[in-house]
Amino acid sequence: MISAIALERPGKWRVVGVAALLLVAVLPAVPFLWRTLASGETTSLGGAFGGAIWNSVVVAMLVAVTSLVVGLPAGVVTGLYEFPRRRVLLAVLVLPVLVPSFLWAIGWSSLAARLGPAATAVLSGHTGCVIVFFAEMFPLVLLTSLAATAALSGSQIEAARLAGGERAVLSHACRYVAVPASLAAGLGGVLTLSDPGPGQILGLQVAASEILTSFSALYDFGLAGRQCTALAALVLISAMPLVYLAAPRLAAESLGRQSRPFHPLRHRQIAVVANVGLTLLVLSMVISPLAGLVLPLLNGVEFRRAWSEVSRTGFNTLLYAGGAGMVATLMGLLLALCVGRNQRLRTVCLSVCLAMFSLPPALGAFGIIDLATNAPAWADPLLRSRATVCLALGLRFFPVVAVLALRAWGSMSVSWTQAAGIHGVPLSTYLRKVVIPFLVPAGATALLLVALLATADVGTVLLLHPPGKSSLSLTVFTVMANAPESLVASLCVAYVGLAAGFLIAVGAIARRAAA
Amino acid sequence: MKCYSVVRSLSFCVTLFVAVGCSDLKQNEKVIVYTSVDDVFARPIAERFQRATGIQVELVPDTEETKSASLLNRLIAEKGRPRADVFWSGDPIRAAILQAKGVSAPYRSPQAAGIPPEFSQPESHWTGFSARVRVLIYNRDLVPKGQEPKSVLDLAAPRFKGQACIPNPLFGTTSMSAAALFAKLGEADAKKFFENFSANRGKILSSNGEVRRRVANGEFAIGLADSDDYNVARKEGKPVGVVYPDADGMGTLIVPNCAVLIANGPNPEAGKKFIDFLLTPETEQALAESDAAQIPLRREVFAPEHVTRLEQLKPMQVDYAQLSTLLEDLTRGYLKEWVDRNNR
Repeated sequence: MISAIALERPGKWRVVGVAALLLVAVLPAVPFLWRTLASGETTSLGGAFGGAIWNSVVVAMLVAVTSLVVGLPAGVVTGLYEFPRRRVLLAVLVLPVLVPSFLWAIGWSSLAARLGPAATAVLSGHTGCVIVFFAEMFPLVLLTSLAATAALSGSQIEAARLAGGERAVLSHACRYVAVPASLAAGLGGVLTLSDPGPGQILGLQVAASEILTSFSALYDFGLAGRQCTALAALVLISAMPLVYLAAPRLAAESLGRQSRPFHPLRHRQIAVVANVGLTLLVLSMVISPLAGLVLPLLNGVEFRRAWSEVSRTGFNTLLYAGGAGMVATLMGLLLALCVGRNQRLRTVCLSVCLAMFSLPPALGAFGIIDLATNAPAWADPLLRSRATVCLALGLRFFPVVAVLALRAWGSMSVSWTQAAGIHGVPLSTYLRKVVIPFLVPAGATALLLVALLATADVGTVLLLHPPGKSSLSLTVFTVMANAPESLVASLCVAYVGLAAGFLIAVGAIARRAAA
Repeated sequence: MKCYSVVRSLSFCVTLFVAVGCSDLKQNEKVIVYTSVDDVFARPIAERFQRATGIQVELVPDTEETKSASLLNRLIAEKGRPRADVFWSGDPIRAAILQAKGVSAPYRSPQAAGIPPEFSQPESHWTGFSARVRVLIYNRDLVPKGQEPKSVLDLAAPRFKGQACIPNPLFGTTSMSAAALFAKLGEADAKKFFENFSANRGKILSSNGEVRRRVANGEFAIGLADSDDYNVARKEGKPVGVVYPDADGMGTLIVPNCAVLIANGPNPEAGKKFIDFLLTPETEQALAESDAAQIPLRREVFAPEHVTRLEQLKPMQVDYAQLSTLLEDLTRGYLKEWVDRNNR
């Protein structure tokens, strides 16, 4: 019988487990990276690629900083206080995560074209890219801050309130939430590095565009591989010190944990500020680009055609989202189990996760195609089916779950494991009765987040989906080039409507579960 | 209890995962078609084929607008054990690349009779049918009557300073236009055109669709696009006019669709039937009547009034296979460097 205390003891199995899981996560990209390294060729970080990297880094940093500056207070206030339309505003703010950045860029571009050259000048280049990416990454920070605030105990909030009123509560909560929110902002910033869409539309040469050009215009997989390696190495080098500082803080809340939850308070002044702030964000970040997309509806509506596309692709979209969420969540929780409280492993994992996130999805997707092409036909259920898309998307977004799972594991009390060990509780019983139930909320959040991110993915699905099994987001993008504007607008409305419906349903289920 | 329900849910999910993987391998009579033609134009043709033959068509579309890593790369990567039977290409350049990479197989369709041979590859690795044309579109509110552009070279004319736009010449049909300019004008004059365009504050946009949108909205006076882009703007009632350029000079670039049979595809017979269907006069007519307003390559095929006939144009005389080789050199050299310089 293995004792529950094994979970808190060091051992070689941790390193082996972490190495195996990270290897599985990068496995699809290995064929390319191998060819790149084996070729011995190098890529210059000067010239056009160097300039593109610089642009990417500037955009990523601005997106990370603005997301953090706006998302952290917004998440804390939303978590601590109750105010009218709180849930509706939150749901609308999360919408951009569900929609590919490309769509928002087109929305902004169309709106700017209607507003005139001055608006186009503002909404292009660095500024345009930052605005588009901010709308997509800010909800990640907002949700992370909200979740972290919800983990505060009732007595902590009451003590802070007694000591210094609402100012002290806000200050305490912001300090508590700062580390996970910073990591979420960092992840968001890194995620922008692999997305060429907004840069292409808004006229900014970014590293992802250069990689795309190597793939799609030059058909030079070797060059694309070298550029990806250079970008990933850059992210790894810059992420290491940040993660080294942040990793110990991930477990800080494990001390003195109390489980009595607090209830959001109604506070008139804060409610007004929060309401106005979130409404402004909704208007500027969601409604404005959406207006650019749906204004053509004034010229006609094609909801019947839009509905036929939705019904053709709806099931696959849900399947890819759910499957990706499941794969990523299982791997993330296993990674957290292997890492435990080992700080060195935690630092390495977080750094590798950030670097993995900077790789363009095409790299892994082409790796899987390569693998499937050279594998025997019996491997097709795994390598050439809808399950493959789930697997690829799950591996792509696994770093998100890894961050959440590491934090959740870190917040589990050591004394529980020690007590179980002293009383001779077997490991299997402890896992079943304590660990899994404790990790269920974090797991469910991670699954939902990955499902949302996977819904918006176009690159991986385009390259891997079995013929005839397209997703809704992919359909929107293959239709929008030359379809009449009214059809594209109808599809966008259908897409956003479904996304909103999905969010409302998830919110209702969560509330029922909490009750 | 909570734990058991988690385990039960996980088991259910894993079972579903395996079931989904296996269900995708069911074999019916079908043909798998990858296409770079826009979904809105390709799908109705695929549905017609399905109704006519009872063979299920599984369409995998791509589009220039998505800025994806492209289906062509997927085809090349799948070469060892292809999944596709047919590649329906929107232009001959991609078809020629597939031939060069050994992905395509020759197939001389009996339906190809009547199609002018200059639009097909001599060994039948790809066969051309209904064509688009590279056109200049202009905003009627910004370009006075009589001042319309006449040539692609007018994109760099001083009278359109800061008012001309082209799609990124590294991608799609614009890359083909660029290669054709180099082939017809020679390297020195073609480079001079691109340099003049930059000096004239011409703008590079992401795609033909964006050129259409921004010219229609009045942000630019003229732009380079495909004839189907113009037709979409025309149908939407935008104030946009069209010019088939260089009628008095080097000619207008014709971009035929191409049907390519994939070597060792899983359903070769169904693939050949689909290609036969694509090359019929009926398909050419359907594409002419669609929003794509594509030009039939056969003289006898009916086309609506708004569709320009091939005999009304002066087609640019180019060797499409040679263009693909030239384009490869250009995208690695001058064009890439020019785009980098202008996007910085």
